[in-house]
Amino acid sequence: MKKIMVGNHAVSWGVMLARAEVIPAYPITPQTSIVEELSVLCADERLRAKFIPVESEHSAMACCVGASAAGVRTFTATSSQGLALMHEMLHWAAGARLPIVMANVNRALGSPFNIWGEQSDSLAQRDTGWLQLYCENNQEVLDTVIQSFKIAEEVLLPVMLVLDAFTLSHTAEAVDIPEQSLVDGFLPRYQPKLRLDPKDPRSFACLAPPEYLMEFRYKMQQSMLEAKEVCRRVDEEFSRTFSRKYGLIEAYRCEGADLILVTSGSVAGTARVAVDALREKGRKVGLVKVRLFRPFPKDELLEVVRDTEKVAVLDRSLSLGIGGFFAHEIRAAFCNEKKHPPIFSYITGLGGRDVTMQMLNDVFYQTYERSKPPEQSVWIGMRS
Amino acid sequence: MANPILLMREGDMPYQPISIASMEWNKTGNWRYLRPRFDNKVPPCNEGCPAGQDIEGAMVLIGKGRFLEAWELFKQENPFPAVCGRVCYHPCESSCNRGDFDEPLSINALERFMADMASKHGRRLSWKREKRPEKIAVIGSGPAGLTCAYHLARMGYGVTVFEALPVLGGMLRVGIPEYRLPKKVLEEEIDQILELGVKAEINTRLGGNLSLGDLKEFQALFVALGNHQSKSLGIPGEEAREIMSGVEFLRDVSLGKEVALGKRVAVIGGGNTAIDAARSALRLGAKPNILYRRTREEMPAFPGEILEAEEEGIEISFLVSPVRVMGENGKVKQLECIKNRLGPPDEDGRRRPVEIKGSNFSLEVDQIISAIGEEADLSPLPKKLVAKDHTILTDERGATKQAGMFAGGDIIQQPRTVVHAIGSGKRTAIFIDCLLKDQKWEGLFEALRVGEKGSLSMKRYLQEEGERAPLSSKTVRLQDLNLDYFDYQKRPKMPKAKASRRTGSFGEVNLGFSEEMAVGEAKRCFNCGVCNLCDNCYIFCPDVAIHKRGEDELNEIDYEHCKGCGICMEECPRDVIVMEEEGR
Repeated sequence: MKKIMVGNHAVSWGVMLARAEVIPAYPITPQTSIVEELSVLCADERLRAKFIPVESEHSAMACCVGASAAGVRTFTATSSQGLALMHEMLHWAAGARLPIVMANVNRALGSPFNIWGEQSDSLAQRDTGWLQLYCENNQEVLDTVIQSFKIAEEVLLPVMLVLDAFTLSHTAEAVDIPEQSLVDGFLPRYQPKLRLDPKDPRSFACLAPPEYLMEFRYKMQQSMLEAKEVCRRVDEEFSRTFSRKYGLIEAYRCEGADLILVTSGSVAGTARVAVDALREKGRKVGLVKVRLFRPFPKDELLEVVRDTEKVAVLDRSLSLGIGGFFAHEIRAAFCNEKKHPPIFSYITGLGGRDVTMQMLNDVFYQTYERSKPPEQSVWIGMRS
Repeated sequence: MANPILLMREGDMPYQPISIASMEWNKTGNWRYLRPRFDNKVPPCNEGCPAGQDIEGAMVLIGKGRFLEAWELFKQENPFPAVCGRVCYHPCESSCNRGDFDEPLSINALERFMADMASKHGRRLSWKREKRPEKIAVIGSGPAGLTCAYHLARMGYGVTVFEALPVLGGMLRVGIPEYRLPKKVLEEEIDQILELGVKAEINTRLGGNLSLGDLKEFQALFVALGNHQSKSLGIPGEEAREIMSGVEFLRDVSLGKEVALGKRVAVIGGGNTAIDAARSALRLGAKPNILYRRTREEMPAFPGEILEAEEEGIEISFLVSPVRVMGENGKVKQLECIKNRLGPPDEDGRRRPVEIKGSNFSLEVDQIISAIGEEADLSPLPKKLVAKDHTILTDERGATKQAGMFAGGDIIQQPRTVVHAIGSGKRTAIFIDCLLKDQKWEGLFEALRVGEKGSLSMKRYLQEEGERAPLSSKTVRLQDLNLDYFDYQKRPKMPKAKASRRTGSFGEVNLGFSEEMAVGEAKRCFNCGVCNLCDNCYIFCPDVAIHKRGEDELNEIDYEHCKGCGICMEECPRDVIVMEEEGR
């Protein structure tokens, strides 16, 4: 069944189909309609879950930690300042190896105050031990919610799925709603290996002195690395049931390309059109959409871009003092490779500024013109 | 503690940071260094009531519509809730913490309400009691005497009440006018005392047809004579026939005697007797004028009564003293008065009136009622019992210097109010019981006290020592409450008969609360210091360490998991929970 729905409702419906059991949440623009819709679904029992209105995002995540430790499928959603307030609890959730799934609607952080799209909020949480998946459209949002639970419950790490403010969150598109029975077959009930049990009391998230902490971290890192394979397998299984497949990254018209644009989120949709237009004009351009950011899909990326002449990375984010997050990550990942193309870094679309075809063309042409990447990121679409 | 676990290799370690061994030994409650405890305290209203009634407890019951149970609770301490609900000066309300918040609770009106409900339902109390062989004589059937008789009869004693007048009730019957306390209401409560087997001998006056020597068959004696004599004005011309004393006038009216009043009646005095006399005179068709030698500030009458008198159009002349009565043919014609100003305070702290020389004036009057103070006729009692201030000396139990003889009511040194008289009657019943059972009484004040103002609890006295709930020494004040939980709310106005309809009628002025008003008002009670099962502790405890038990049962603290954070104490609206240092 297809339904016209905004990205936020695609999240809610994905959570309903995944049969989450506990949802502690606190509202924040532009995430609010996710939890509004979930509260309605819980109230009319289309979703039989405990909906817990909490007093802050910090409490929301603390509540998720408790619920997930008790062995139930747990979901929450937030954005921007809310995610920043959760920061401490994100570490607790990941360190305790709890398969919590969270949707983050990308939004700029103040100051100055801004409620519009930018990926800096989620990217700034890259070191917390959460998997991160960036979505391009509302269908991918719904599908990624369902996939996320399956991935999280296998690798025992929490998963954050990310969608852009307004461009996806408040924009309606046709979304195919999968059959509940098919989702149930793909994602069976969560079977925790360990859980809080009053009859067998254990200390959860207990003290790990210097003799033990490193080993716990090592195991987390191993699981992160293994998570790539899990993501790939889950996506594969998903496609067998639902005939939709996203990959860790997606290469679009990269065959024989001399310039490949790397980006993520909803901009990828516009970039496909820009690539098509330039290919029409005979330019050999391609596009890589990065879907999985943590763990970082270095090998998959290198595989696609190794033989191209130039890579342009378009970031809707900024790590102050270094530049775009994705460009920085890609450079760091490639630096020990014998052969890799030069990485050109571009910043645009901060604080919800629309990323237009004109801007994307700018990125392609400036990259063609330059023989080597400038020292600093190039800012596109500035007021002049 | 379980055995220590040896260091493991990375491969053997769990992927989740969870203890391998059971943590059964380490209940989270053992981190605690402060321990919460439910500790009911003394509500200020209960402490403020000289009759020691459980007012707070009754408010909870009224709020739940359980009116008759509330009445029974009051009846445990006081046989006269219908009387007190009309005439008590309600020190409970002046103690009420709501008084410092918005307006004190209408406790007095609620007391009347539940007593009227009990009367409407023909409710009677039955007390289980073992008959005891001892007999006790009570002299005087006022509130002190009848209260003492009531409690002693409940305990199984044979009690005989001796009354000088042809009716029972003392000042309640012949001192308080019908429009404040209908005879029917009083008689109903007296009947309930007599139903317990109390014998009453009317027309039997100590010093008249009864002497102390006639009472040898009684093992104990309670003397509760009232103040039925007016003090004399001490001015020339006072012997004239048309000068009446206030108590005499009120008594005659109460007993239904024909009282011939002229039109213009001067009532001299500023106490409740003066107000009652003036308002009664008004109802008999006279035009009374109250003369008081000081100002409104110093008037000893209850402010509510003064207000009602003024509503009825009674004029009060302040700073006026009578000097001389002028008559013709034995009839009063004029009252010569002098104007006063206020001088420095006298020994009781009120400013003394000082005459202004040459300010004399005359009032045309047909009748003078003198109500400047009352005293008792103590002449039938042994001189050694009487103190200089014309009261009977008693110890803290109410016992006089004569073995087996107790005294109470208006003739001992205590405020002369109905409720103090009731308190003294109850106290005496307790200590007569101790005396006759040859029990130690010294520790009882500590065990039975309701706060720090001297009231005792009969309910506690009648309980076995082991049954008595622990007693806190703390009375809860406004600053002890968490006021975030209370809204401002005014008290309801007592419905009253129209002032214009009161003249010429002795019908009751105050009409009482409706059921709806009573429930609403009782719910306004803060329940200071007493758990009313509001469940805030249960709701707020972050460790789910407060457990609910059955209906009407206090919650239970699970000390195995309570971490002593104190949130329950903070969020308790009524200061019930205390935090105490953990004993190690």
